[in-house]
Amino acid sequence: MTHASTRPTEERRDRRQLALMAAPFVVGLVVLVLLPAVATLGLAFTSYDIVRPAEWVGLANFAELWDDDIFSIALVNSLVFAAVATPLRLLAALGLALLLHRRARGVGVGRAVVMLPTAVPEIAYGLLWLWLFNPIYGPVNTLLTTGGEGGLTVLGRTPPPWLTDPNSARAAIIVMSLFTIGELFFVLLAVRQSLPQEVYELAAVEDATGWDVFRRVTFPLLAPVLVLLLLRDSILGLQLNFVPALVITDGGPPPYATTYLSLFVYRNGFEYLRYGYAAAATVVMLALTVAVVVLQWRLVRRYRAAWLRLARD
Amino acid sequence: MVTGSGPEVDAGLRLEGVRAGYDGREVLRGLDLTVAQGELLVVLGPSGSGKSTLLRVIAGLEPATAGRVWLGGRDITGLRPGRRNVSMVFQSYALFPHLTALDNIAFGLEVRSAGRKVAREAAQEAARVAGCADLLDRRPGQLSGGERQRVALARALVRRPDAYLLDEPLSNLDAELRTSTRAELRALHDRVGGTTVHVTHDQTEALTLGDRVAVLRDGVLEQVGTPEEIWQRPASWFVARFVGSPPMSTLGPAHPLRPAGPAGSDADDVLVGVRPDAVVLGGTGTPATVGRVEVAGADAFVHLDVAGDALVARVPLAGRPASGDRVRVSLVPGAVHVFDAASGARVEP
Repeated sequence: MTHASTRPTEERRDRRQLALMAAPFVVGLVVLVLLPAVATLGLAFTSYDIVRPAEWVGLANFAELWDDDIFSIALVNSLVFAAVATPLRLLAALGLALLLHRRARGVGVGRAVVMLPTAVPEIAYGLLWLWLFNPIYGPVNTLLTTGGEGGLTVLGRTPPPWLTDPNSARAAIIVMSLFTIGELFFVLLAVRQSLPQEVYELAAVEDATGWDVFRRVTFPLLAPVLVLLLLRDSILGLQLNFVPALVITDGGPPPYATTYLSLFVYRNGFEYLRYGYAAAATVVMLALTVAVVVLQWRLVRRYRAAWLRLARD
Repeated sequence: MVTGSGPEVDAGLRLEGVRAGYDGREVLRGLDLTVAQGELLVVLGPSGSGKSTLLRVIAGLEPATAGRVWLGGRDITGLRPGRRNVSMVFQSYALFPHLTALDNIAFGLEVRSAGRKVAREAAQEAARVAGCADLLDRRPGQLSGGERQRVALARALVRRPDAYLLDEPLSNLDAELRTSTRAELRALHDRVGGTTVHVTHDQTEALTLGDRVAVLRDGVLEQVGTPEEIWQRPASWFVARFVGSPPMSTLGPAHPLRPAGPAGSDADDVLVGVRPDAVVLGGTGTPATVGRVEVAGADAFVHLDVAGDALVARVPLAGRPASGDRVRVSLVPGAVHVFDAASGARVEP
C-alpha cells in the first residue's frame, strides 16, 4: 500500500526534475528562436525602419517581393546552389568516409585534413578562398595553368575568371562549400564503422567486387543515414552560402550572380533598414525550406522500395 | 587442374607448417593438418587457442605468416578469399540485415554473376535442404536465432565449394536447440558431403559431430583423431583433462588407488588420470568419504575424499551415496591414463 501512495509523489518529483533540466533549453528556444520567429512573422506584414513605429501594410511586402527582380534572382540562385551543392557535398563526404574508415597509415591525418576546413572560422575561410581564387596569382589558377603556355591551361583554354564572371562566381561558391563537409564526413564515418565486419568478410569470401559490395551492402545499410543527412544539408544549403557571398563576391558580379536569399534578407534588413520587407523574404525562405524538405521526404518514401530493389538487382 | 609442387595431391584440405598471428603475437605456431575430401573435421579448443584464426587463415581472411594451405589440389595460400572457393558460416551468421532470407542465400551466386533466375532457384533448393524454405521472404530481423542459423547454413550450401568452414555455428543457440541442430548438422553432412572444418569449444559437439577431432591448444595441435581415439587414448595430459566433464581425476604419487601396474606409473615423473566412469563404488576397496554429490540426469557425480586426495566417480542416480557416507572405492582395471609429467605426452601402457 505504501508503494501505491508514494508513487504519485515520486512521479511528480520526476516530472519536476525533468522540467528543471529541460528549462535552460526551453528558455533559450523561446527567447532566441520562437519569439524572434513570431516577431518576424509579425514584421512581415509591416513597414518598419527602427526609427519610425511599425506600420501595418498587410500583404504589400509580399506583393513587392513578387515583383522584385532581385528577389527572383536570389530565389533562383539559392535553389540552384542547394540543388547542386547538397548532392555534391554528400557524395564527397560519403567517398571520403568510405576511403578513410579503415585503420591504416595516414588515415588519422587524412581525417584531420577533411575536418579542418569545417573548423576554420567562416570569415577566415572566406578570405582564404579570396586569395585562392585570385584569377591572376591565385593558387587555383596557378595550378590550372601549370604546363600550359601564355597563361593558358594544358588544353589551351583560358582558366576561369573566378569571382568576376557570374557563372564562375557561382561555381566558386559551390566549390568552397564542398570542403566544409566535416560534419557529414564524421557522421558517415561513424556509421560506416558501426557496420558489422563479418558481413564484409562474408562478401569477401563470396568474391563480391568492390562495386557489388557498395551497391548491395554498404549503400543500403547507409541509406537511412544518407536520407537524414540529405534533408539536413538541404536546410543548411539554403543558408550556408551567406558568408562567402558577403565576404568574397559581395553578392556580385553583376547582375546579382551570387545574391542568395540569405544575403538578400541581410541587405534589406541591415543595410537598407527595410525590416518589414526583409522579414517577408525570411518568411518566404522558411516556407521554401519546409517545402523542399517535405518534397524530399515524400520522394524518399515513395521510391524507397525502388532504392532497395536497386541494391538487390 | 593446377597440381603444383605439393607433396601429394589430395582433393581435400591440407595445411603445412601454417603460422599466423597479429600484433607481434603468434596465434598459430606451425600447424600440419589434413582433412580428407568429404570429411567433417571438428577443431576443438578453449577460447584463445587459435581455432577461429585457423579457420580465417583457411578462408584467407587472415594471412598465413608461414606455411602453405592446399585445397582441392590447389595451393591457395596466396589467393584472396573469393578465389579459394570456400563457404563460411560465421558465429554471428553475418546475414545482411536489409535483404530477405532468399536474397541472403542467393547473394554468393548473384555476385558471381549467375543469372538471377538460376540463383533464386539454387537458393530455394539450398533453403529446402537446410530446412528454412518457409522463411524465404523474411528479413533477418524477423527470424529467431535458430532460423537465422538455418539461413546462414543454406547460404553456405547454395554453391558447391571445395570446403565448408563453420565457426562455432551452434554457440548462439540455446541448449535444447543446440542438441537437435547438432544432429541435423551431422545428417546434413552425411547427405550433402563436402570437406568441412567445424570449429567449436564444446567437447560434446566435437565428439558427437566429427569424423575426426583436432584438439588445439595455444596454436599447437595436441591431437588429431577419431572421437573414440580422443576419448579412449588422449595423446596428452591437456586433451585428457579438456575432454570429459567433469574432467579426469588426478591420482597423485601417494594416492592409494594409483596402480603399480603399467610401465612407469608408480614413478614420480608421471601424471596418472582416471575418468569418473572408471571409478567403482562399493564391494571391496579403499575406504573413502563422500563429499559433494552432483545429480546429472540418470547419473550422479560423487566427489570423494580418498585419504586426502580428491577423486570423482560416476554412479547411477538410484545408487548414489549421501554426502558424508563412508564408502569403498576401486578402479576398473586398466582404465587409468598415464602421461609424462614434464611433456604431458601419453606414456603407452
